[in-house]
Amino acid sequence: MNRKEFIETLTKKLRENNISDIDEIIAEYEEHFNFKLTDGYSEEEIAAGLGNPEEIAMQYTSGNIDNKTIGKKAIITTGLVFADIFAGAFFALFFAWVIVMVTFTIASATVGVCYLGRFNIYSLIPPIPYYWCRIVYVVMLLSLAVLSGVGTIYCAAYYRQLMRAYGRFHYNCIASASGKAVFPPLNIRPQFSAKTYRLFRKIVLIALAVFAVSFVLSYILSAIATGSLEFWHVWKWFIE
Amino acid sequence: MNVQYKKGVIELCVLSMLYRKDSYGYDISEYISKRINISDGTIYPILRKLKSEGLVTTYLSEESGGPPRKYYRITELGRRQYLADKAEWLNFIGEVNNLLKEDGDE
Repeated sequence: MNRKEFIETLTKKLRENNISDIDEIIAEYEEHFNFKLTDGYSEEEIAAGLGNPEEIAMQYTSGNIDNKTIGKKAIITTGLVFADIFAGAFFALFFAWVIVMVTFTIASATVGVCYLGRFNIYSLIPPIPYYWCRIVYVVMLLSLAVLSGVGTIYCAAYYRQLMRAYGRFHYNCIASASGKAVFPPLNIRPQFSAKTYRLFRKIVLIALAVFAVSFVLSYILSAIATGSLEFWHVWKWFIE
Repeated sequence: MNVQYKKGVIELCVLSMLYRKDSYGYDISEYISKRINISDGTIYPILRKLKSEGLVTTYLSEESGGPPRKYYRITELGRRQYLADKAEWLNFIGEVNNLLKEDGDE
């Protein structure tokens, strides 16, 4: 008897005996075949070692999981549907937030580059007439873009991990309700390597320091250049 | 030896193995069949019976470069059952040994 014959006979006999979760039982024997084949046994030898599939199928009748699990499964599935609706809304919102962060990062970087290269398409960007002021604004905007960029990566990673963890939770709920083996739950926080984590920390700290200094400096320089504490009026920002 | 009789003893052996550490089906099957002369296929129905009785539970563990493997873990109920059965078994074979020795002395 080869592997295929063994599995087929076993499946057929299990069905005849009304055993539940046949897939799970078969999976154990498939795994057994795989292990033994790696050890160099032939399919026939393995099947002979396992014994008569008809007798094996008989032995499962005593350990059958009864139909009580079906009612339990229905309740859990209903609960899961509601949980999925809320989780779906939450994930949609979270996704929108990630998009906002991506947009903010791109916007800061673009405006920074425009100031640096003196591009002002359709005069959309408020003017900064003084060179040094402009450079400080560029530094400020680019450091902001870096900060926001790292934030975006972290949020996106968090989003992905949270989705995976929820998917795992979903699977485990159904599996445990049907008496099947479950996976260990996943951590809901993104799992970066210590090296990546340290790199992120370093980038964020440097970008934050640069941003804080250039933010203060930009105000001071602008105020000095225009001779006004409300320099944006002098440069006619925010008016048509 | 009678198959039904062996099955009870093998349940005890499986519990003994799981009492020490979590294992997957093939591991248990190999461990037992190396020591006791039974066909390899006998262990899996026993594992399922132990599970349906609540003496063991299963969980999946992701192995690198392969499908997830199903591990068996003994429950608190299983531990108590094992210790009780083990004591009973040791007592039983002790009595049987005594009995057989009396026979040999004659």
